[in-house]
Amino acid sequence: MLGGLKSKWAYLAIAALLVLLILIPFDWFLGRYTTLMIFIGIYTIVTVGLCLLMGYTGQVSLGQAAFFGIGAYISAILSKTYGVNPWLAMFIAAVMTGAFAYIIGYPIFRLKGNYLAMATLGLGLIMWILFRELSQFTGGPDGMSGIPYLSIGGFVFNTSFRKYFLVWFFCLAVLLISQNIVRSRAGRALRAIHGSEAASESVGINVDQFKVKILTLSAVYASVAGSLFVHHLRFVSPQLFDFLASVKLVVMAVIGGLASVWGAIFGAGATRILSDEILLRFGQWDIVIYGLILMLVMIFMPEGLFVKLKEVFERLRLRYRQRGTEP
Amino acid sequence: MNETVILETKGLTKAFGGLIALDKVNLSIESGKITAVIGPNGAGKTTLFNLIAGVYPVSSGQIYFQGGPLNNVPAHKRASMGIVRTFQHVYLFGNMTVLENVMSGRHPRSSYGFLEAALRLPKASREEEAIFLNAVKYLNLVGLGTHAEHDALSLPLGQQKLLAIARAMATEPRLILLDEPGAGLNTLEKRQLSDLIRNIREMGISVILVEHDMPLVMGLAEWVIVLDSGQKIAEGTAAQVQKDPKVIAAYLGEEVE
Amino acid sequence: MSADQFVQYLVSGVTQGSIYALIGLGFTIIYAVTKIINFAQGEFVMLGGMLSFTLAHSAGLPLAPALIISVLVAALVGAVMYVLAIRPAKSASVVSLIIITIGAAIFIRGLAGVLWGVDSVRPPVFTGSGSISFLGAFIHPQALWIIGTTVVVTIILHLFLSYTMVGKALKACAINPVASSLVGINPRTMALIAFVLAAAVGGIGGVVMAPLTLTSYNVGIMLGLKGFVAAAIGGFKSPLAAVFGGLLLGIVESLAVAANWGPFTSAYKDAIALIVLMLILLVRSGKLAEEERAG
Repeated sequence: MLGGLKSKWAYLAIAALLVLLILIPFDWFLGRYTTLMIFIGIYTIVTVGLCLLMGYTGQVSLGQAAFFGIGAYISAILSKTYGVNPWLAMFIAAVMTGAFAYIIGYPIFRLKGNYLAMATLGLGLIMWILFRELSQFTGGPDGMSGIPYLSIGGFVFNTSFRKYFLVWFFCLAVLLISQNIVRSRAGRALRAIHGSEAASESVGINVDQFKVKILTLSAVYASVAGSLFVHHLRFVSPQLFDFLASVKLVVMAVIGGLASVWGAIFGAGATRILSDEILLRFGQWDIVIYGLILMLVMIFMPEGLFVKLKEVFERLRLRYRQRGTEP
Repeated sequence: MNETVILETKGLTKAFGGLIALDKVNLSIESGKITAVIGPNGAGKTTLFNLIAGVYPVSSGQIYFQGGPLNNVPAHKRASMGIVRTFQHVYLFGNMTVLENVMSGRHPRSSYGFLEAALRLPKASREEEAIFLNAVKYLNLVGLGTHAEHDALSLPLGQQKLLAIARAMATEPRLILLDEPGAGLNTLEKRQLSDLIRNIREMGISVILVEHDMPLVMGLAEWVIVLDSGQKIAEGTAAQVQKDPKVIAAYLGEEVE
Repeated sequence: MSADQFVQYLVSGVTQGSIYALIGLGFTIIYAVTKIINFAQGEFVMLGGMLSFTLAHSAGLPLAPALIISVLVAALVGAVMYVLAIRPAKSASVVSLIIITIGAAIFIRGLAGVLWGVDSVRPPVFTGSGSISFLGAFIHPQALWIIGTTVVVTIILHLFLSYTMVGKALKACAINPVASSLVGINPRTMALIAFVLAAAVGGIGGVVMAPLTLTSYNVGIMLGLKGFVAAAIGGFKSPLAAVFGGLLLGIVESLAVAANWGPFTSAYKDAIALIVLMLILLVRSGKLAEEERAG
């Protein structure tokens, strides 16, 4: 599944990551961070989709929280209000969110730049208002609680330990799938579109269709993350999916690196840890810091922080290797 | 419909608002030959290419490719039909290696999509192998085989243009449109380019060439079409066209390269 | 709905619309000169209101200096934003600039939240508190201030752009930046002036609106969005069209709530601006597609 990575360092890094991930939830290791890691896992899933979307279409989505919220609410409503099996609910939510993205995709991508950004912003806000106002379904501004856990047979995912592995199973699956896509013909087509839309069309790439497909993929990822989110918190409310939520997702994507897959873990993780730490020490300053990060990263390293760090690491590695071969 | 005609236009017209870039142009491009389209700046050469490639729609008139109508075929479908073009400004995929650029050219000759890629199904691996081998073949055709792993943009301009041609060739076209392939090349590079274009013709592929470099054109082209201000003013062999008084008049005042 | 009620809703629509017009002016000025959509425009409005509250109410300054200082500070923030966040980005892509202005917006909003907390505040009104009767409706004096200020600002802006050297240079830069730079107009100076002007206009909108509508640290987003819609109606090119757009939006919003059709309860009021936005974008994307087809 992992084949084709660039260097043995990458293999090593991923192996180390896997070992770390497996050990974290144990109390004798880093068990107290289990809940934090559950959130990081969930947000990583959304971030990967957003990184791919923004990186390969060269556009910004200021309303990604809408897809996250649609997945969350559909899962919540189906499993709590209608007693549908939570796994089935998650599947239905993903299909519906994906279909929604596919339908709005073609008209949306006719817009470019600022107008497209505004359209995503508008859609995000419209969904947020709907979450708030369709109270007979969504529970209104106070949200819904008592959402059931996910379970397999008699095995219920009701402890942090179990939920951690559930979430990270999905997270790693999403990362691997995305990695496979990026290294494939479809990934090349996406990178080609990013490089030159005109040249892409000339070699038979249907630019519009690919953009819509990657939007759909990002929506499905966000929906799955939303479902996992509500089955973890057992609670959902509109505040979780407002404009600021979409902005935070952009921060995660920007730190992780637009068009980067594994960088998404870094982006989601760094942002989450940062926001938790800051909220703890400095109260309301978290929004200020997000704004600062967005500005600084986009001014000085528009490819994203993680990608820039990788570049620096590569350059250092080459210099080290050169020195090693000198007589 | 004549089987030796690969591309035909009837009354082809393109207007941008009030500006008429092409005015009722009738062309008949013979299959398996190298045809050059020349003319002073603003003659409509690039517009012609863009219409054949499907970059924008025709204002009026018809284009026929291999006997079938081309007018409403979307741009991205034309590569699988067998029409490919290169760009004056190259437009390589800067975020990929040299080889990956050519592999992108295999897009219309392959088909596996998101699902097969995501799950690494056997169809994906099989096609990926074929894509790789074919890309290497076309990269070697233009002589860039040793640069396969380099970043596309690390190549000098002359080689970038060759890479663009390799990428276009990877689509296995019947007709290739080369938009000023010689621009910015030195004499040696232009000779290599000529050899490559003749090679392409030997493979049975029809070539339409837009060029400003007269010696290059005259040495290569088996048929020359001259455009001026959106209209066809002459056509014939290189020798015939060079002596045509209308052509000379059109170029008067133009810098002859 | 009686005639009196209709007039009342109309008045309220024009009042709100005037605010949207001012914000839309700010978007238009910056876009026309720099081709940047300043997502932080709404924050300048917020700052105007919050500052006027602090100065006029908490610090007890007399009204006029409080208002003037508030607007000047907003203008200063605009200048600082341009110099520190926009100019260093040099030739950043459209997407990068969007993210940068969003970053600036939430940076300013975050600071406001820290400095002023989350509660709503209401600065003192400019003149008396009684309502004035007008064509069967009651109009608050502050609303007259809002409408009047919008008219005055629009006129002054128009005169400035048409008759002063700087104004004409701004217009030139908007029409053709390359040619303008060739005749000695520095695009970076023009951009700075555009930001300062837009921030000032936004600040004016804030100081004049806050006494009537309450304000708090997070009003910037919705206001900014509605101002964007106003400017979008005007095509981002003409300040007058932006004003028209703002008034139109305000009136449509008000009448939709008044008519109480279907879901348009006041909770959905904000959604109206969004729907108008989506319609504009739809029309625009339709126009783009048409342009492509017609060549």
